[in-house]
Amino acid sequence: MSLDIAVHPPGRGSQRVSLQGRLDTHTYEDLDEALAPLLTRQLHSLVLDLSGLDYISSAGLRSLLKARKALAPHGGKVLLVDPPPQIRKVLDIVSAVPLNEIFASTAEADAYLDAMQRRIVEEGDGDARD
Amino acid sequence: MQMRLFIPREQARVDDLNASLEAVLRNNGISREIQGNVRLIVEELASNAIQHGDVSGLEAQQHELCVDIGIRDRLLTLEFRESGAPFNPLEQPPPDDLDAGILERTTGGLGLHLVRQVAEQASYERIGDSNVLRLTLSIPSAGSAP
Repeated sequence: MSLDIAVHPPGRGSQRVSLQGRLDTHTYEDLDEALAPLLTRQLHSLVLDLSGLDYISSAGLRSLLKARKALAPHGGKVLLVDPPPQIRKVLDIVSAVPLNEIFASTAEADAYLDAMQRRIVEEGDGDARD
Repeated sequence: MQMRLFIPREQARVDDLNASLEAVLRNNGISREIQGNVRLIVEELASNAIQHGDVSGLEAQQHELCVDIGIRDRLLTLEFRESGAPFNPLEQPPPDDLDAGILERTTGGLGLHLVRQVAEQASYERIGDSNVLRLTLSIPSAGSAP
């Protein structure tokens, strides 16, 4: 089994990507390649839907951390949505890693994104977002 | 049930090893959760050995990885054997500051940490030219899976 990567149409400063299959030594480079062009200064949220993921190993975790590190300098975040129990367990084991935004559903992640958007507007930073 | 599988020290073959193990586990009625744990342990140990193992002192035909898997009563045992310079995966420091150093770090620290956490018991022995790691996982009785 390999890894299927679905890159959804971009939203306002957010980008959703769904993963299915196994994220491991054999597939992490595919994810790195798919994410590389998305990790721009304009992206403030990379939303990774993990509900279809069957398996993750340290190589896969490293890809997630790499994306997080790429976005961090300009305040961007990686949000993880609906990791199945087996994936959640591995994420929990490395809880020292602040993969701090894990959401039960896309609705929860969307609510978080909306709240973040509102905060940006209220703080009144004049950046054009799109 | 007891069986032994060998692969050459090549990353591309690790998936073959795991596919074989998964078939064995499935045929023995082992849950997907335990299958996932075994896959994780084997991938991390094999990748670590292939990427970081020092085999400079060995003949080419000794460049092999060997996994013994046993299922008895409610206990699954894995014995992972690799020839090479002495290396005890259980004595490696935990990845204490993952956030700061992760990109400079190899995946080894993270991977071996996962192995130590997922296995219920683990012991290391140096036998001849080989590093031998024995791990056990308990198998929840049928129907008790969450």
